[in-house]
Amino acid sequence: MKNGHGKLLELLEKSGAALYALLTRLTLREDVAEELMQELFIKLSNSSELDKVKNLGAYARRAAINLAFDWRRSQKRNVLGLDRLNEPASNEKSPLAKLVQKEELQEILNAIEQINTPAREVFVMRYIQQESYDDIAEQLGKTPHQARALCSRAMSNLRNILGSNNSGLSGKETYNVED
Amino acid sequence: MSKIDENQIRRRLKTLSQIEPTSEATDRAMERVRAALVGKQQKRGSKGTRVWPLMKSPIAKLAAAAVLMIGLGYAVGRLSAPAPDMDQLRSALETSLKSSLAEEMNRRWQPVFAAGCVQLKNELRQQVRRDLTEFADQILAASGTLTEQRLIQLIELIEATRARDRRQVAAAFETIEFSRLQDKSQLGKDLVALAARTDKLLDTKEN
Repeated sequence: MKNGHGKLLELLEKSGAALYALLTRLTLREDVAEELMQELFIKLSNSSELDKVKNLGAYARRAAINLAFDWRRSQKRNVLGLDRLNEPASNEKSPLAKLVQKEELQEILNAIEQINTPAREVFVMRYIQQESYDDIAEQLGKTPHQARALCSRAMSNLRNILGSNNSGLSGKETYNVED
Repeated sequence: MSKIDENQIRRRLKTLSQIEPTSEATDRAMERVRAALVGKQQKRGSKGTRVWPLMKSPIAKLAAAAVLMIGLGYAVGRLSAPAPDMDQLRSALETSLKSSLAEEMNRRWQPVFAAGCVQLKNELRQQVRRDLTEFADQILAASGTLTEQRLIQLIELIEATRARDRRQVAAAFETIEFSRLQDKSQLGKDLVALAARTDKLLDTKEN
């Protein structure tokens, strides 16, 4: 049986790239994603409950999502301007188009931040990681129907959030990384 | 914010899902995490294995007892033995140390000196070769310059001599021309005088 360190190394080799991509998508910055990736693994290695975790990949992904949204919340407190953001890895477009796209992505990420944690995880897996409902259900220990329902509710919430005038700048919820 | 429909949300989410970090950034991030994990593990390992739990085994207890007995025996033997003659011991130790040190020094340093000597010779040879080459280059350059200067002087001398000869020939030609003109003038005068005398003589004969 492997110890925690071995498990983490295995997780890094198996899902490290995917976790890093997820962090990049949620932060829109490679440098921040790199920092958060390290923070994630350090937190996981410090976790006393690591041996009890059945699905380490799902656990790490959830922790990564929470870390990324925590970071976004802290950035809003620091009044993050769009001009301070690095270029997202987008296709070749005009500077204006890039700026508009960046603003749109920021807006949608701010809105996702306001969805409650379980639904947010499902939503991120479905729409940002483009996973199927079956895979999501399997990883989260739910039925595909439940996953679909959560996603649908999350989408509805998102539409409401984006439709209203408060676009989530208040940052009303705080989620800590589960360790 | 404007009202937004689900299609727009899906479009933005799709854009978001298509963002991929560069492979260099991914590799760098993974390498960094790997190094952090390995470093942490090593730090944990270097905190040392705990000795005390090992002592709980009966074999360890026996070994500890054996070590204790040997130490005790050594101490008793040391205390019960007569005191050694320190001067004799020191001189014997010095002699032994000197001889062993000299042998060791010879054994260790001789090949080093030999190797150093060969290296020194090589370096000296290379240095002499470099100096000679440099000297030859300098000599060649100097002799080339001198030869050039001598050739220039020779050419100037030849030119001067030729100019002098030309001037002398020109002077000779001028002298010859002058003499010719003088002779011509004299001959003309003489011919006129002769003609006059001839006329006079003919007149006298006719009279």
